[in-house]
Amino acid sequence: MITADFRAKAETEWQNITDPSVPQIFIGMATCGEAAGALSIYKAMESALIKNRIKARIHKTGCLGMCYCEPMVDIIKPGRPRITYKNLTPETAAELITDYLINDNYRPDLALGVWGKEFDGIPNLFQLDFMKFQQRTALKNIGVINPEDISQYIACGGYKAFEKALGTSQQDIIYEVEKSGLRGLGGAGFPTGLKWKTCYKARYSPKYMICNADEGDPGAYMDRSLLESDPHSVLEGMLIAAYAIGCSRGYIYIRDEYPLAIKRMAIAIEQMRQYGLLGDNILNSDFSFDIEIREGAGAFVCGEESALLASIEGNRGMPRHRPPYPAESGLWGKPTDINNVKTLANIPSIIINGAEWFAGRGTESSKGTAIFALTGKVANRGLIEVPMGITLRQIIYDIGGGIPDGKAFKAVQTGGPSGGCLPADLLDLPIAFDSLAAAGSIMGSGGMVVLDEDTCMVDVARFFLDFAQQESCGQCIPCRLGTKQMFEILDDITKGNGKQTDVDVLLELSDSIVKTSLCGLGRTVPNPVLTTIRYFRDEYDSHINDKQCPSNVCQALINGGQSDE
Amino acid sequence: MNKIHLTINDNQFEAEPGATIMEVALENNIYIPHLCYNPDLVPGGICRLCRVEINNDKLALACRTPVEEGMIVRTNTPEIDAAIRPIVELIIADHHSTCRGCPANGKCELQKIMAHLHIDRRRIDNLRLPQNDLPLEALTPFLDYDPNKCVRCGICVQTCEKIYGTSHIYFLNRGYDTKIAYFETVAHCDFCMECVKNCPVGVLIPKNV
Repeated sequence: MITADFRAKAETEWQNITDPSVPQIFIGMATCGEAAGALSIYKAMESALIKNRIKARIHKTGCLGMCYCEPMVDIIKPGRPRITYKNLTPETAAELITDYLINDNYRPDLALGVWGKEFDGIPNLFQLDFMKFQQRTALKNIGVINPEDISQYIACGGYKAFEKALGTSQQDIIYEVEKSGLRGLGGAGFPTGLKWKTCYKARYSPKYMICNADEGDPGAYMDRSLLESDPHSVLEGMLIAAYAIGCSRGYIYIRDEYPLAIKRMAIAIEQMRQYGLLGDNILNSDFSFDIEIREGAGAFVCGEESALLASIEGNRGMPRHRPPYPAESGLWGKPTDINNVKTLANIPSIIINGAEWFAGRGTESSKGTAIFALTGKVANRGLIEVPMGITLRQIIYDIGGGIPDGKAFKAVQTGGPSGGCLPADLLDLPIAFDSLAAAGSIMGSGGMVVLDEDTCMVDVARFFLDFAQQESCGQCIPCRLGTKQMFEILDDITKGNGKQTDVDVLLELSDSIVKTSLCGLGRTVPNPVLTTIRYFRDEYDSHINDKQCPSNVCQALINGGQSDE
Repeated sequence: MNKIHLTINDNQFEAEPGATIMEVALENNIYIPHLCYNPDLVPGGICRLCRVEINNDKLALACRTPVEEGMIVRTNTPEIDAAIRPIVELIIADHHSTCRGCPANGKCELQKIMAHLHIDRRRIDNLRLPQNDLPLEALTPFLDYDPNKCVRCGICVQTCEKIYGTSHIYFLNRGYDTKIAYFETVAHCDFCMECVKNCPVGVLIPKNV
């Protein structure tokens, strides 16, 4: 039903928004924006418009990824470019209405950037340091369109890739994805095309398609932003995958802690149904497919694909033995393709632009772009999409603007509880799946937490092991007892009760847990301990031998363990 | 069906096709440490202790790996020891401190593993032991559950499931706090005692009723 007519209508509508006759106001209202106060901004602007009897349209967009500027508002005044304003308060937002919309003072003091050429002293938004090193493909629509309006997505080229895919054979799509070199962006980096091919070749039916949106790493929110800001790009990726593999049913497994993402996804799915993009004979083809949302119940381990399957089936979320892999025997024993949100969001542009275009970026073994949630002690925090092979230094200093308050960089943590802490010596490490693994960390799903000199690395390891021991499913013994034991040892070290043997015991336990655990969670959770011992051994030694915390973080060890009282 | 020929620790053996390494080894009196394996049940593969080396290369679980023609299996390499010894030490550190009075004393799988690996108690002192023993819990109207001994191998759950189709007891909680709990559903526990019999470490204690 996406006829040329409808697409033309959506494009005209979009044209009326981007080149309007009345002012258009865009308020970033993803979870991050709302947390920063976007709801009160919305109210303030709405009442200022009413009070001043100004005719204007307010759009709720997603998040542009510039967390350090939230809450953000864009305004297009007729004949003017789209101007983005940052760090607004309800007062300044109301001022904007009177100053800009009535008196034509576009308030350069509040402005962040212009969408396009520099405008009277306000810089080009996409030439700002935070933006200019990025290559946004999966994130191209976030913060631009209204995520609750399918016609805006269609106007921006949405579902063209799916239409193209419908005219292509299943094998050709899989071959294209395989050739592009796209690897799973959920963390493990398994070649997506190969996964699709295995599932396509599996003889049993029905086949299932699952989007893994159970993002749980501390400090990571890439999937949430994408789901909340551009749900249709993920859904289009799912449609293409399902068509290529021959799946008849799809599930999106979203963690329960993301209510707004669930709401927006449900709206998006409903709109797809209205436009004939889901259900029987999609767009009058032979392809029938439907999608259902499944909410997680709060277990981190359910992001592990076999535990996720168990959870959808209604069982306790415990990982299963592999092989057989889900592509051969997954949900209810049927072939199942499971892809991460970000992986799927990359699919439409691969289909439109071709495998060569995608493979033209990145490194030899890691193609395309990586999406990170850049957080912690860095000036410009936010969501970034950068080509693979970019160095940590470029991300932290060029994009991130360095460490605030004149502090020194100490480490960067990638990959959440499965990742590691990399020191300053490795700042020039190019980021790719293999290089990070060689350094003892992992690419992970995209959390990147910058730590400054005020961070105690033993305390960081303790934090992640505390997380791991709470989130272990408790099924296999090495993970269940090992994470607990490692946490207890680290806890003791930070409290001044470390023993001389502790570091050796930690190394030995880590080695054993990595080798013997059942699932990817257990096999990677020792990484924060292993990397902090590898790169910051001296901190462990001073905690254990001198009862000193060099960064003055561990309360029990401040003043050499002597309490003031 | 043709027999399968394999080597375990430099000795030749014959086996039925489809048998697992664990089955063949135990049949021929070669001990491989295990807690969650029971010949009558589907191998859960969750204690992770039955590691063996296959074809001088990778380590695999004996309970879940079927034998293959010409397979070379080793059960006692230094790599295996390095992988599983810390796990066994963790279990012992977390286990009830004394075997005295335990109904499983003498037929306990954990005691067997400790003897097999010559576990050194001094190494366990480097670990952090639980502060206090947890109290006994009334699991079913007929059974007490000792969380201090339980290795969470799941044999009791599987045993019950096999007999009744759905298990009356199942895992509760997550991570370290995982334990076995009674889920009173359609059917009630009718005290068949099979779970008690199959428990490798004497966790389930029948009540005198």
